[in-house]
Amino acid sequence: MISRVAEHCFWLARYLERAENTARVLEVNHTLLLDFQVPIEQQWKPLLIISGVHDYPHEPTSENVQQHMTWSADNPCSIASSLWWARENARIIREVISGEMWERMNYYHLWMQNGAARLAYDTNRNDFYAQVRRINQLLHGIADATMSHDEAWEFFKLGTYLERASQTARIMDVKYHTLLPKLEDVGSPIDHAHWVAILMSCSGYEPFHKRPRAVPIDPGTAVAEFLIFDDQFPRSIRRCLWECEWAATSAAGNAVGRIPSEPERKIAALIAHLDARTIADVIREGLHETLTHVVDSVHDIGQSVHTTFFSPPARMTQAQSLGGMTQHQG
Amino acid sequence: MAGLVTTLPGFRSPFPTEPAGNGTRTAPKLFDGYTPHPTAWDELFAPLGGPHPHCQPLVDRLGQLRLGEFQSKRASADLAFVNQGITFSVYSDQRGVEKIFPFDLIPRPIPAHEWATLEAGLVQRVKALNLFLHDVYHGQRILKEGVIPAELVLGSKGFRPEMVGFTPPGGVYVHICGTDLIRGTDGQFVVLEDNGRTPSGVSYVLENRAVMKKVFPQLFQDIRVKRVEDYPRRLREALSTVAPAGGSAPPQVVVLSPGQYNSAYFEHSFLARHMGVELVFGQDLFVDADVVYLKTTRGPQRVDVIYRRLDDDFLDPEAFRPDSLLGVPGLFQAYRAGNVTLANAVGTGVCDDKAVYPYTEDMVRFYLGEEPILRNVPTYICARPDDLKYTLDHLSELVVKAVNESGGYGMLMGPFSTAAQRAEFAEKVRTNPRNYVAQPVVTLSTVPTWTDEGVAPRHVDLRPYIITGSGTWVLPGGLTRTALVKGSLVVNSSQGGGSKDTWVLE
Repeated sequence: MISRVAEHCFWLARYLERAENTARVLEVNHTLLLDFQVPIEQQWKPLLIISGVHDYPHEPTSENVQQHMTWSADNPCSIASSLWWARENARIIREVISGEMWERMNYYHLWMQNGAARLAYDTNRNDFYAQVRRINQLLHGIADATMSHDEAWEFFKLGTYLERASQTARIMDVKYHTLLPKLEDVGSPIDHAHWVAILMSCSGYEPFHKRPRAVPIDPGTAVAEFLIFDDQFPRSIRRCLWECEWAATSAAGNAVGRIPSEPERKIAALIAHLDARTIADVIREGLHETLTHVVDSVHDIGQSVHTTFFSPPARMTQAQSLGGMTQHQG
Repeated sequence: MAGLVTTLPGFRSPFPTEPAGNGTRTAPKLFDGYTPHPTAWDELFAPLGGPHPHCQPLVDRLGQLRLGEFQSKRASADLAFVNQGITFSVYSDQRGVEKIFPFDLIPRPIPAHEWATLEAGLVQRVKALNLFLHDVYHGQRILKEGVIPAELVLGSKGFRPEMVGFTPPGGVYVHICGTDLIRGTDGQFVVLEDNGRTPSGVSYVLENRAVMKKVFPQLFQDIRVKRVEDYPRRLREALSTVAPAGGSAPPQVVVLSPGQYNSAYFEHSFLARHMGVELVFGQDLFVDADVVYLKTTRGPQRVDVIYRRLDDDFLDPEAFRPDSLLGVPGLFQAYRAGNVTLANAVGTGVCDDKAVYPYTEDMVRFYLGEEPILRNVPTYICARPDDLKYTLDHLSELVVKAVNESGGYGMLMGPFSTAAQRAEFAEKVRTNPRNYVAQPVVTLSTVPTWTDEGVAPRHVDLRPYIITGSGTWVLPGGLTRTALVKGSLVVNSSQGGGSKDTWVLE
């Protein structure tokens, strides 16, 4: 497929996934704080940090941060920006995605633009976040059922899982930035509630509790292990990377004995990095450090997807002139 | 232009309100109290009242609608356009405004026998235009024999010296032609202009029909209307027949768009989707050893036919405008080497030139030895001293147009202008007469159209689309554009016009 079109598929999926995850984090934080008295500095500021907003000029109050993360056109990570760019990417590749995907995407774009979404936000915040969460879920369902599972689909999946791997790592990293008031608070109800909140923002509460655990470990470690290593939960980092690897392999051509492309090698390296460790190793080396490694590696993989698939050199290689149509980049 | 003046003294609605039954109140119906334009030809109603015979079934059915029902159908049609994002963009900032192209639900019917004549006339005209372009870029017989002044053609902005001596694959220049027709007060269709470069609007013909079928399914069961849905398939087939020899089999056809910020991007995407071909931007293509390739995730793929929706100037920075970022470096060289087909060909702008247009009837006689079936609007070419004098003396009665403009830009509507505007225009015409032509004001025909004041006559034109590959095919009907402002004779979408579904009756 056309490289540029593949890029739009990839980014359509990433922006949709990003909007969903932002809504999840805001929704859970909003609910969690109803139960606990946490210093204001720790309530909402971590949400800015994990989204890469380090220079927020205002007081990080609940309303300010939610406004910034939901509506701000200046914030490229806000829900409104993400959905705008998702729809813009969809519009550009209108001839590639299915008609039903486009109509739904456009429907929600109009919903965001015409005041209906703002009204929901102002009157029932949690309903609003739940609605945003469903946009991505709905579009994935429609895509799965109406779009050809061809190369465009593989790039759509690659974008989804790469973004999700990064988002799960970022959500967990909230914990690092939310300092507990006192050392003895480790293992306290507040600490526990934080971990529950993180699980819930990844929709992992029930799957987590259904997984049998042989050795009793503290809840924080167990949640971290689940969200990093679980091989079945569709939002765990390892599972997301595995999906990325499969999508990248399919996108690159899937031929037996083919030399892996650069993105495939980088994804494999990150999976190997995790596979070489247990949760105990991760805790010992520092959870934040591992999560940072994941976020940085995902960024690197994204760059490599770009150079490999989206901006190939504008010339014929010898193999291509001889009639070969295989991947010859990097 | 002298025409039959059709005045309608004491015109009464052809549909007196039905007597109320069972004591229920009678709500007003669609055509109640409709007053046609005093002089224009009405496309639905005959001069002496009552519908034209071919419009009777349509008027009978639509006329049953109460205003409220019609309103709700209008709302659902508008919603269909908005929800499907069938919009054009007005990009004033990064997050531009998208607008729907106003659509009016009352269709514009054309009877079968009249369409047959138009179709034959359009085929004849496009044939002559293609022969003219071939001649102009080869032997220039028509210039040598003095049928058209050579300086008019060779001095035209649309004339491309780079094309001299080159024959495009299949010998076709104008693959897609949009010829604008208008109907004067005498009810005769005449040609206003030919668009042989990149005529737009066909996607609205198809989308308008789709929405009409959704909103009025019963109408289409009761009245037989010629299909328009074959257009994308016909276009793809025609383009495949003119692919260069030695390319891919089947030929790889692509639609080349200037990009997502172009106001017609929806149409480019629509056509690619319905033709089942790739939509590409200039950056997606590259040229290697005079062959055009598409950059794909699995390496380059050869491209054989490019339906390009950007002007000659922007096609190739190496051959034309060096500052263009939209085109493909080396594309023209690949074209000249015969390795790729461009549709339309480079250099067709010479027959869009409004000063060349007056000679199309002569082209038909010269190349085909036939009388032209379709006539032109009489035109004064300001490059000719007599015409220039006449134009300047009669500015307040004429429409004066710049020869290379389109979209309703660069023109003076004499009868509606102020003395200051006329003085300013006269100065421009005097300074550069070659750049202007003038025509008598034609009172365009009208169709009943929904307005803020209820159903009222609004002026329309008609743009049929003519596809030429190994043969020529005319899309039944075309785009009926409507001036939405009362009295306005300018129907261009860039000037706030709307559109209607055009029905060629079987």
